[in-house]
Amino acid sequence: MAGGAEATGAGRAAASQEETKMSQDETDDEKAFALFDRFLEDWSRRDFIRRMGATAAWTAFSGGALAFLEACAGGNTVGETPKKGGHVIEGNFSDIRTLNSMLSSDTASNQVIGLMFDGLLNVKKNGDLIGALAQDVPTVSADGLTYTFKLRQNLKWSDDKPLTADDVIFTYALAYDPKYADVSSPRRGDLSKYIASITAPDPQTVVIQTTQVFAPFLGSHTGYGILPKHILGTLSAKEINTTDFNSGPTVVNGAFKFVKWEKGQQVTLARNDNYWAGPALLDQYVYKVLPDSVAVTTQLKTGEIDIGPVDPSQFDSVKTASNVAQVEFPVPNFTFYAYNLDPAKLGGKLFADKAVRQALLFALDRQKIVTAVFFGHGSVANSVEPPTSWAYKEKPQVLYSFDKAKAESMLDGAGWVKGSDGIRAKDGVKLKFEMITNAGNKQRESMLTVMQQSWKDIGVDATPKLIQFPELVSQIVSTRTFDMFLVGFNWSIDPDEAPLFHSRNTVAGGFNGADFKNADVDKILDDAIATLDKEKRKQLYFQFQDIMSDQVPSPIILFNTGIYGVSTRVKGADFGPFNQFANRPWMKDVWVTDGK
Amino acid sequence: MLAKFVVRRFLASIVVVLGVTLITLLLMDRTRGTYVPGIDLNPALRPEDIARLRTNLGLDQPFYMWYVTWIWNVAHGDFGRSMIDGSPVTSHILDRLPNTLELTGTAIVVGILLSIPLGVIGALRRGSKADHALTVVSVAGFAVPQFWMGLLLILIFSVTFQQAGLPWLPSSGATSPLNGGDLWDRIVHLLMPATVLAFFYLSVWSRFTRSSMLEVLSQDYIRTARAKGMSERRVVYLHGLRNALIPLITLVGLELPGLVSGGLVVEVVFGWPGIGRLAFERALQYDYSTVMGVTFFATLLVVAGNLLADVLYAILDPRIRYA
Amino acid sequence: MIDPGQAIASDLPAPAFEGDARRPAQSYWNESWERLRANRIGIVCGSLIVVLALIAIAAPLFTQFLTHVEPSQLDLDNTFKPPGGAHLLGTDELGRDTLTRLIYGGRVTLGVAFLTIALSLTLGTGVGLLAGYYGRWIDDLLMRFVDVVLAFPAIFLFILMAILFRPTPITLAAVIASVGWGGVARLVRGEVLSVKERDFILATRSIGARDVRLIVRHLLPNVLPVLIVAATLGVGQIILIEAALDFLGLGIQPPTASWGNMLTNSQSYFFHSTWLVYFPGITIFVTVLAANLFGNAVRDAFDPRLK
Repeated sequence: MAGGAEATGAGRAAASQEETKMSQDETDDEKAFALFDRFLEDWSRRDFIRRMGATAAWTAFSGGALAFLEACAGGNTVGETPKKGGHVIEGNFSDIRTLNSMLSSDTASNQVIGLMFDGLLNVKKNGDLIGALAQDVPTVSADGLTYTFKLRQNLKWSDDKPLTADDVIFTYALAYDPKYADVSSPRRGDLSKYIASITAPDPQTVVIQTTQVFAPFLGSHTGYGILPKHILGTLSAKEINTTDFNSGPTVVNGAFKFVKWEKGQQVTLARNDNYWAGPALLDQYVYKVLPDSVAVTTQLKTGEIDIGPVDPSQFDSVKTASNVAQVEFPVPNFTFYAYNLDPAKLGGKLFADKAVRQALLFALDRQKIVTAVFFGHGSVANSVEPPTSWAYKEKPQVLYSFDKAKAESMLDGAGWVKGSDGIRAKDGVKLKFEMITNAGNKQRESMLTVMQQSWKDIGVDATPKLIQFPELVSQIVSTRTFDMFLVGFNWSIDPDEAPLFHSRNTVAGGFNGADFKNADVDKILDDAIATLDKEKRKQLYFQFQDIMSDQVPSPIILFNTGIYGVSTRVKGADFGPFNQFANRPWMKDVWVTDGK
Repeated sequence: MLAKFVVRRFLASIVVVLGVTLITLLLMDRTRGTYVPGIDLNPALRPEDIARLRTNLGLDQPFYMWYVTWIWNVAHGDFGRSMIDGSPVTSHILDRLPNTLELTGTAIVVGILLSIPLGVIGALRRGSKADHALTVVSVAGFAVPQFWMGLLLILIFSVTFQQAGLPWLPSSGATSPLNGGDLWDRIVHLLMPATVLAFFYLSVWSRFTRSSMLEVLSQDYIRTARAKGMSERRVVYLHGLRNALIPLITLVGLELPGLVSGGLVVEVVFGWPGIGRLAFERALQYDYSTVMGVTFFATLLVVAGNLLADVLYAILDPRIRYA
Repeated sequence: MIDPGQAIASDLPAPAFEGDARRPAQSYWNESWERLRANRIGIVCGSLIVVLALIAIAAPLFTQFLTHVEPSQLDLDNTFKPPGGAHLLGTDELGRDTLTRLIYGGRVTLGVAFLTIALSLTLGTGVGLLAGYYGRWIDDLLMRFVDVVLAFPAIFLFILMAILFRPTPITLAAVIASVGWGGVARLVRGEVLSVKERDFILATRSIGARDVRLIVRHLLPNVLPVLIVAATLGVGQIILIEAALDFLGLGIQPPTASWGNMLTNSQSYFFHSTWLVYFPGITIFVTVLAANLFGNAVRDAFDPRLK
């Protein structure tokens, strides 16, 4: 069983292929991934991923191709002795908003919070759960409703006070207890719906009971940073929203503690010697706010930052820097466009016919988009689940290659015939619409332009329109006057995609802005979270992907890859699909070669 | 009479500030639509959560009600809290305003210090190669987009210098992340952004100084001074320059209102933690309270600057008081 | 009826010395034009602006005969081609021809600049004339309004209005003009105030001329020189403002090309394909430089004392 004592529990009863084929313990994993990185370095990244597909690369690697890689990789990561001390500066585009784990909803805040506050469980980069404040991943009770977490012994806050089950109960209460209803927590929706009770039979044990069998619970809701009750417990709900603790936590339980936040510039953290996993090697960690992606490239080169996300357009430029190494990996993220299927809107009239939706997808040369717009850093998407998911089906029922002739004949067959102006029309309605996406994202802008051209070639008039991000969110979630929108989405570990595709989320405030309503899909999605049987869930999600490939209400264009530039003086950074942002159990082992 | 004049202008200033803030709120409210500040594409959010957030932020009431509440609070010195991160608006402003003033203030000082000698040289050596060269440089400086100049400077003085092993300048921020904050650190970070801003002022002011000098030097009293046997240096610097500078001061004074918002593009390019950049980012996120607070301060400075200028003019020129 | 042309001639500086009668006295306008023509740099720059404007207007002719591609035509197989061959100035990240986009971008950028000037001058002059001429409470009211507009931190107003009006070239011109007209109004009002007290105005009024006639026939021509200078100097400034707004993401949105957003878009590819940065950058620089120099020449022509 992979990971030894880590991956136990009926909740993960059916071991995935990756797990059985993975090596036995953590150091092997790290070495393997270092080799995988090396492998990607030595071979042309674009060629490899394009030829084999991101998921093939992934499964090939995890499918035991270690020996092959070891042979190919050439050179080896010499075991250097980690040095204690020094700092790491990481750059990113957005400033953090808050340092309270239950109030934050943006990636930047979550990332920094994750270094200061551990949750019950944490995630390895391949998606495996491991214990954090809790000793192990718990086994769920026979009825599938009760999870018993045993906290580690002698957990301490950075002010030497003991961390007990009371802190855990307090933290979760902020999001689901009616007493704290005024706390503006984005976690409230799920937690209040699915948590029945949280109790502490003794100071070392937390028992969480769910309202129904809820499969995503362990994967998605056990990572919230635990907050100190002895500091925040006396505050009222409204005070919690505004307390100074949110912009400067005085007490932490994670690898690093707060030093200062220079607004708009950087957040500085320092080692927390009371960390349960042992003190981190670094003295300090800085999260620095940068203007844009070119600044990331510039500062990686000059060494002003040690780690930063690299935009595909900057990849080649960063490659020339001898002091930076790049890591690239598939991520649970995809870019998709959605048809407005509301019968009352224009989109409803144009796109109601499945043949039209499919034809438009056939008319897109998505491989060209990956090559030209993303410089090869990505792969054409066949399915609605990202390739990093254990429920991913590589070849669902309907596959879409680039076939312009087929697109045209499908549209002809559906009754959309080219008029004298070259635009197709049916019953007096032209196949003419607007596509929206947010301004400021170069790739999305380019994608819309390519889509416009591709569809113009088959007689469809599509016009790109760029709007500000808040307006885009508003459109998707409530106004919904769009014909088509293009956006990217980040998924968590669990394959559940109800927020986008379940019909209950078509109400105002939900993310099913495309108004996609399919009873079969609804049932599958509901059933799939109501069982803990992984194999059964996998089959359900396979069906789900088949239906979605046929219906294509929201065609996925590509699966992105995540690229990080890491300075050569930084060792031990272990980026992966599921722990690049908030969950970074590896951060404490990061060290710098010059000790500065 | 002076007092009455000041009071009238002061009241007018209040009207102006109110007018500006009202227009700001109007524009923000029109464009916000249904968006609730701080919402991301976060699938964990439920419609009920969003509704509660809207109520907590006071956005479910008509905008004029929000405005009246805001004015009432401001009168008590309470600028409220940011809708994005919950921190007090005043803390954001007090954190950033000094940075902006540092940047624009330095640029103005540098601009003045460089414009005067350049303008004087141009006037004294009128028509010479030096004069023409200076004219070309100053006019050229006026023709380059600020953001482009900034990016070019970063490319040269950060990336290229660093790779060539030369001492190089940091490409963003006001202070270094660790061990920063001392005077030298701030100066090093200030160099490039202030240069870009100063270039702009330099272009206008050097030419202005030049023409002002020329005008003054052609005056009768200068000829008289020369005829009396005064040394050329004393003529030029003691009498000429002093009088030529008065209009320049006026021109510089006109720039003071732009002190707060003028550096926005430079702030964005260099990641400078200033108030202009704050307002820009928050406006795009519909953070009403922060944007209103910043606009209020910026307008206050503009209006105060104008009031000060008007009062000075009134003291110097009695005719204006009776207008 | 007193002819304002003659009256103004008497305001010019007296001849250099007694008996200087080499040239007959000309009207102010003719003299100014003469001075402008003598300024070689000014004429060259002015001509350059005119040529650029003509190229922009005749854009479709260029695509038809010179470059043979549309500005929006993609060619994903030929991205980032360096200058030369079929693409005189190379191609961009989606394979579009740089030269064609530059020409069509000129349409947008120059169009925005000229339209903005037209709008802000019209509004500013109207308000300035009324305020200056009628005085008293009208002046107070209008100038208070102008104060509000001028007190507004311009860049904040741009941000807000850009979000409100989705930026097309026309709405962008309106947005920029909405900030600029205040300065024009003040300028015009100042001129009107200084001219208002002159003899010929009082005389015309005493004859009983109607207000409108007075304003249009007599005040306006006196105000024109100031307006012309403001207009020519403004063109350069507005091009730079448009570029700055594009940089902030609030100006002309892709895929429509403008010089400013071409320059902004190319920044990401600076290390990759440097020519994409230089061409729009140099175009903006040369145009703004020419506009500024021409504006200086015009100002010198109208008022040689400041030279």
